[in-house]
Amino acid sequence: MISLGPADPCLHSLLGLLIDPGGARTMSLAQWDKTIRLARQARLLGVLAHRIQSRAGLLADVPECVLGHLYSATAYSAHRSQLLRIELTALADVLPAELPVVLLKGAAYLVQDLEVARGRLPGDVDLMVARNDLDRAEAALLGAGWEAEEIDAYGERYYREWSHELPPMRFPGHAVEVDLHHTITPVTGRLKPDTARLFADLQAVPGERFLVLHPLDQILHAAVHLFQDSDLSAQLRDLVDIDALIRAHVRSDEDWQELAARATRHQFDRPLWYVLRYCHAWLGTALPEDLPLIAPSASAVRLLDWIFPRCTLPRIPDQPPGFSRRIAARLALIRQQWLRLPPSLLLRHLGHKTWQSLRPRPAVQHKAG
Amino acid sequence: MTVEHSRIRDQPLPLLLQRLSSATLALDYGAAVIRVRSRLEDFARDLRQVYGAFAFLDDAPFADFHTEVCAGQGFRAFIRPQSRFLIDGAQPFDPFPLPQALPHFEWGANWCIAQRFNQYVLLHAGALALGDQALIMAAPPGSGKSTLTAAMMLRGFRLLSDEFGVLCPRSGRLWPMLKPVALKNRAIELIRDYSTDAIIGPVYQGTRKGDVAHLAPDDASVDARRLPGRPRLVLFPAYRDGAALTIRRLPGEEAFARLAFNSFNYGILGQGSFKIVADVIESCPAFALEYSRLDEAIESVRTMLLESSTMAPAA
Repeated sequence: MISLGPADPCLHSLLGLLIDPGGARTMSLAQWDKTIRLARQARLLGVLAHRIQSRAGLLADVPECVLGHLYSATAYSAHRSQLLRIELTALADVLPAELPVVLLKGAAYLVQDLEVARGRLPGDVDLMVARNDLDRAEAALLGAGWEAEEIDAYGERYYREWSHELPPMRFPGHAVEVDLHHTITPVTGRLKPDTARLFADLQAVPGERFLVLHPLDQILHAAVHLFQDSDLSAQLRDLVDIDALIRAHVRSDEDWQELAARATRHQFDRPLWYVLRYCHAWLGTALPEDLPLIAPSASAVRLLDWIFPRCTLPRIPDQPPGFSRRIAARLALIRQQWLRLPPSLLLRHLGHKTWQSLRPRPAVQHKAG
Repeated sequence: MTVEHSRIRDQPLPLLLQRLSSATLALDYGAAVIRVRSRLEDFARDLRQVYGAFAFLDDAPFADFHTEVCAGQGFRAFIRPQSRFLIDGAQPFDPFPLPQALPHFEWGANWCIAQRFNQYVLLHAGALALGDQALIMAAPPGSGKSTLTAAMMLRGFRLLSDEFGVLCPRSGRLWPMLKPVALKNRAIELIRDYSTDAIIGPVYQGTRKGDVAHLAPDDASVDARRLPGRPRLVLFPAYRDGAALTIRRLPGEEAFARLAFNSFNYGILGQGSFKIVADVIESCPAFALEYSRLDEAIESVRTMLLESSTMAPAA
């Protein structure tokens, strides 16, 4: 097993319960105390609750005070999912009917009614349209009252030229934000997915206005999002998503071969390789022998084995993160920017950020409860 | 009912401070247990007073909330000392002046409950009981709900909460969320004069809600904190200077709207909260109560509660 880094022992309980909720029978109250906190930090409490609740007879063995938190997380996840559905209905009303619009990640899991969506706390709505349709989709939303987040000219350019999405939009008063994408990785990134193929394999969902990626592409997208386009911080739930998607969509040896072939076609060998490594180690995802994937170098793997657990795994938040976690977080950030921007752009971007950080900033306002 | 052998007021301040600073002090509100860490002596002293009747627990293995009340940081701490409230290491709102650490904690604890405790429908209401026969008192801020709640406890009702009507959608029971009653402005002296049994903490002047002081829950209420009540009566009290006591029965649909839409999380629980609030309105008579004399109001509430309890089906 890959070292969990300076993690709390109860992290083993959390990972263990995610794999086999039956372990809930033997947990002490003190273990529950920390396990619930870790699950909440990882935004996985609702998922944990769903897995415990769906195991017949298990609830009777869970202490009353713990049950309360499970019920609470279930209710909150259902509420947020409902808000997301309301947003999707509103979006369907205003996007031109002939425009193919794809749902990514949480919203896609929800409309497909996948097991992975149960108990999950959905974030924003991620939409994807073909690059040629981007202006039309954006105009339709802005025309119907959605407003783009206000950002400075540099940020605007960062999004429009170098990113794969527009600045987030929100309808005033709505609880959910909308991100409009035109592909699944930053356009300046090292990896160049075969976007045409991605769009060619889109699937309809019965009874829904929106399309979704091919099931195996959904796995690849989640993997790429995690290992290519994030700072790796607190992303255990992404691994949990991917593990659940694999369990749902990859059932036979042919499926695995197809997944690997698609990864290679989109240049996603590495992210998939890493995802499978950590899913297997921490969530017990069953893998076939010798998948035809190009493995990263041994030294790269050693480095990521050190960085990834320190950034990704939740911790008890009473104390600020320790030295090794802070170093790991910094390395992960550098890694993200390195993968995302070619060296010349990266230099420019860092220069801009440094300049900004030297200028006086307006005081941070905390929201009053 | 267990007899409490050890209450917070019986502990010497240094011991309390030591438990607070090692984060091994937990406060049991009945429906929730909150752990609080602090090194602030002012906070420990005030807490000892208004949580005096609370059980001095051996380190509780499970807490629902993990909080900290600490001093401000850096240079500013010397110029204008502040207290910060943290839940899970995060600071949800601005610091208070240091001497107001206790009201800051109370506010913070309420915030935690309102944000995270969606296993219950959290009505914005006071709740009291005689034995396990409970009444729910909902009213907008400023209608004297906390004052009436405080006075009722001092006249022998069991206090469940002055802020949260904690309704369990699974059992239909009303759970105690027993915290010190926050009295504001004129209510502080009024309650002090109302009963010699009233234990009231320091008066914090000029907080965001004016002058605030806390009435300590009594021993009987604390000892029954794990005993949920059966809802029997719904009241919408309103204090009006010089008013004669008037009691008006409310139609179910009006009572439902006033109770349900005065909740912290009605929308989050969706159908679950609709069903349980409808159950309460169906099984409990609801009255609007206008009063100016506390004793008179309290005795009529006592009579109404006893009447509706005898009429309720035994369950």
